[in-house]
Amino acid sequence: MLHLCDICLQLGGFKMNSLNLHIRKAEYCVILGPTGTGKTVLLETIVGLHNPQQGTIILDKKDITKITPEKRHLGVVYQNYALFPHLNVFDNIAFGLQLQGIPRRNIRARVHEMAGFLRISHLLNRRPGNLSGGECQRTALARALVMHPKMLLLDEPLSAVDRLTRDRLQSELKRIHKELNITILHITHDLNEAFFLADRIAVMRDGTILQEGDPETISQQPVNRFVAELMGMRNFLQARVNSNGSVQTASMGPLEQDILPTLIPHGFKKIFITFPDWAVEITPAKRKHHWWHGKTVIAALHPGDNHIGLDLSLPCGTTIRTSFSQREIKQLPEQPTLGNEVYVGINRNCLYWLPHEYG
Amino acid sequence: MGSFRIIFFIIGFALLLLLTLPLVNMIISSDPDILRSTVTDREVYTSIFLTLRCALWATIVGLVMGVPLAYLLANWNFPGKSVLQGLVDLPIMIPHTAMGVALLMIYGKKFMLGSLFAKAGISFVGTEAGISLAMAYVSMPFLVNAARDGFLSVNPKLEKVARTLGASPRQAFFKVTLPLCRQAIFSGAIMMWARGISEFGAVVILAYHPMVSPILIWERFESYGLKYARPVAVLLIIICLFIFAGLRFLAARGKES
Repeated sequence: MLHLCDICLQLGGFKMNSLNLHIRKAEYCVILGPTGTGKTVLLETIVGLHNPQQGTIILDKKDITKITPEKRHLGVVYQNYALFPHLNVFDNIAFGLQLQGIPRRNIRARVHEMAGFLRISHLLNRRPGNLSGGECQRTALARALVMHPKMLLLDEPLSAVDRLTRDRLQSELKRIHKELNITILHITHDLNEAFFLADRIAVMRDGTILQEGDPETISQQPVNRFVAELMGMRNFLQARVNSNGSVQTASMGPLEQDILPTLIPHGFKKIFITFPDWAVEITPAKRKHHWWHGKTVIAALHPGDNHIGLDLSLPCGTTIRTSFSQREIKQLPEQPTLGNEVYVGINRNCLYWLPHEYG
Repeated sequence: MGSFRIIFFIIGFALLLLLTLPLVNMIISSDPDILRSTVTDREVYTSIFLTLRCALWATIVGLVMGVPLAYLLANWNFPGKSVLQGLVDLPIMIPHTAMGVALLMIYGKKFMLGSLFAKAGISFVGTEAGISLAMAYVSMPFLVNAARDGFLSVNPKLEKVARTLGASPRQAFFKVTLPLCRQAIFSGAIMMWARGISEFGAVVILAYHPMVSPILIWERFESYGLKYARPVAVLLIIICLFIFAGLRFLAARGKES
């Protein structure tokens, strides 16, 4: 469907270096990355608002690199909707159709059909200034979709709405994707949003795609510490790979390499051992599946809505972080309080290794 | 009302008084008989209409040439942009008589552009075209700056979205950006027209005749004294007051809608 091949682009201080991305037909692809990483520039490059200095953009087997935005037939929805404030909802949706010179009756029919699909038929006479965030978003979606675009590009479409509306709109986006069978490229910095919507996730940083794959693979096999941190991992233990292949962590002793899910290729001397929060268990005794077990002190408690975060200070000086749901806390042998000593085990099945380079 | 607002109210009222007192005083101290004869004086109303007309021509030129420049200043970043912005503001800073001399040395019949235009039968010295030209030069910054601020206030993503919906750059400008800046441009045009009407320095150098109102007031003051200059000024003030109040009302209504 869409292939970005070796895209190089310099825009002011920002640089996109040999970026490659492939999106399949009818796929919901999410580009995930922190703010300022070049996600919007990438979207605008696909749309044709920036011309790459190098590389090609192929859409439906056709090279569109040099084609102007108006001829690419791609629909865009921006973060703050970018509705035309001087036009009412009907005219906003009809804007593109009017430019095509479609007869008025047909425009009316298509606008009403799309407004019905997005449940905004009752808003057609209103100006954008009188709409809620969710209504603006639906209007922006209707305006893009009414043109029957080859692909829909969404630039952080849910970041400017409240949590309840966001949840509703997420479901709405799923419905649109399913019912219209349209290819969607969605840009976000929100992990939950990405996991809820994506068939495939591409993690982006500093103008390059670091990793792409299905959500499960990305979360379970991040390629480096940056992706791992983005996936919510917070525990990174420095380790050394010995010449005989054994692994020695700086703080928690030796580790058999065969308990790691993938082999460490020859040549890696320094690595990180990482594990998700839920791999940390507070137990009265060592269990079979524990790689490491020991006594630690609760250094900090972070009460949240549904979870309580714990910072556990190991005798060697390392702090590991974990969190428990309210229910899990109740099931613990002893209720955690600040300064308490607890026995902690780390589930060996959840260990993962990463190259030491932060990239 | 809090003390903060009361202080601001007093300062604001004092300024209003300072601004309006000379005008009100001039109007109420005018001799009604001379004022009546001034209204029917052909030379006076011809001069006032000439002033309004020339300022209008200048504003039309300003709209045609100033709006594209304002758009570029708002949307393009290029080396030397601040210098260009300074050049736009230059007519506000330099003495207008100096501007008049500069214009004469370009548009005078014996000079560069003046000789070229003369071949096409257009002269700027002592003509309505010359008055409009002088007015346009000195009042252009008001329109360009207002339009530029208007363009700056438009979300640049609107044009981008319009492009993805099938609009060419020209269509995106005329269908999205321009309608959204209409009020700012209109306000700038009012200011430019007003500034054009009051122009004396540049016009007097380039085109003493036909006489625009500021020159007529000066000429009557020089030849007959204050008593005969005042009614012309009063008449011009009253006409301008009505026109600008009307235009401002229209601008405010447009903004509300």
